[in-house]
Amino acid sequence: MDAVVAFLISIPISPLLSLLFEGIDRKLHARMQKRIGPPVLQPFYDLIKLLGKERIIPATASTRIFEIMPMVSTASSLLGASILLSNILSNSNIVGDLILIIYLLAMSSIALIVGGSASGNPYSAIGFSRKISMMIAYEIPMLIAVISMAFGPSPSLAVSSIIEFQVSRGLPLVASRLSMALAAAAFLLCIPAAASVVPFDIPEAKTEIIYGFLIEYGGPYLALAKVSKSVLNFTLTLLASAIFLYIPSLLGEAALLNLGLSLFLCLIVSLLIMFITITVPRTVLARLKVGQALKFYWVLPLTLSFSSIILSAVNL
Amino acid sequence: MFRVISRGRIKSPWIFHLNTGSCNGCDIEVVAAFTPRYDLERFGCLLVGSPRHADVLLVTGPVTRQMLPRLIRVYEQIPEPKVVVAVGTCASSGSPFLGSEMIEGPADRIIPVDAYVVGCPPRPEAIVKGVVMAVMSKFR
Repeated sequence: MDAVVAFLISIPISPLLSLLFEGIDRKLHARMQKRIGPPVLQPFYDLIKLLGKERIIPATASTRIFEIMPMVSTASSLLGASILLSNILSNSNIVGDLILIIYLLAMSSIALIVGGSASGNPYSAIGFSRKISMMIAYEIPMLIAVISMAFGPSPSLAVSSIIEFQVSRGLPLVASRLSMALAAAAFLLCIPAAASVVPFDIPEAKTEIIYGFLIEYGGPYLALAKVSKSVLNFTLTLLASAIFLYIPSLLGEAALLNLGLSLFLCLIVSLLIMFITITVPRTVLARLKVGQALKFYWVLPLTLSFSSIILSAVNL
Repeated sequence: MFRVISRGRIKSPWIFHLNTGSCNGCDIEVVAAFTPRYDLERFGCLLVGSPRHADVLLVTGPVTRQMLPRLIRVYEQIPEPKVVVAVGTCASSGSPFLGSEMIEGPADRIIPVDAYVVGCPPRPEAIVKGVVMAVMSKFR
């Protein structure tokens, strides 16, 4: 498929898929608590309702930043998701798009907290400072895990060439080398913090600081913030399934010829990753403190990603 | 188009719960309505902490003089369209406190109320039904 066509297709598809993923996540979460749970289409209903509500801008807010930042956030996470999805769909080679995607995802979180803290609410300020500490905790191991790709068996930072490498080996990257397995483990451990779900939902902490930086957002702004967050979660899980666990590579060369089927398999794997890294932790664990989360991320995932780089330096 | 919007509104009422001097009995029952046994979330409801996110205001208690300005303020902070449900006998009629100079209620003397759930305290099923009926009648 042509790269431009694939990109244009993936712009509307990625928010639809991510809202669907969020609905499945909420349903599974409810079933694990022995509840019936909301319908799978619940995020779509929420979105329609929020878009039709009144816009309120608090008197204490700096209006422009408060209004624009949810749009910036949604735009950057959507762009990240569409670049990734179109790379899987079309095998177009963009040099260094892995770094671009990670950067856009960080950008979307930062835009949201900047907009929220422009509301002038003290809880948003607390949320802002907590999110910054959390980003220091998880962004470093995550970036190192991604950068270890450049030292790995396929020295590249382009998603499509990593996928091509996995297909040519006929094995997902996790299974090919020990170093890549460690990098994948570090990346997966970073997903719950990047998605800010329960053990690491410190910046939002619904029962503690009342959604932190989202507290003053309502109506269409909240809708944009919700879309941005769910697209971010979707992109993270899809990224993990594309660069570390590209299961369609087991099909061999057919994976490159039959791109629709490999995208479908990839989505199934990312659904599983979402279940393991987002749904299960948020159901069974309780919220940590900022210091505990920082300690966790700088002990386990950081060690894993550093040892991945060291191991790939000695070709393991 | 209009039907899609009204369906979205009916399917996702987010609840903000305000205690205006209740004895805490109704508040426990409101929380009980979200437990796995009654599971208000199956109608798409969420208990939110900020009035900016809410669609439904659950008022419990007979609006004391201290809570009067706060009730009005929280009501105004909820973006339109919104629904108010008075939970418990106190919020519906002010029952044992009616005529006391310490209370300004019941709630419908201060803000427009769309549904009344009576009982002292009401059962969680009644609260679930009250929320669903108020949303259905207002947003259809």
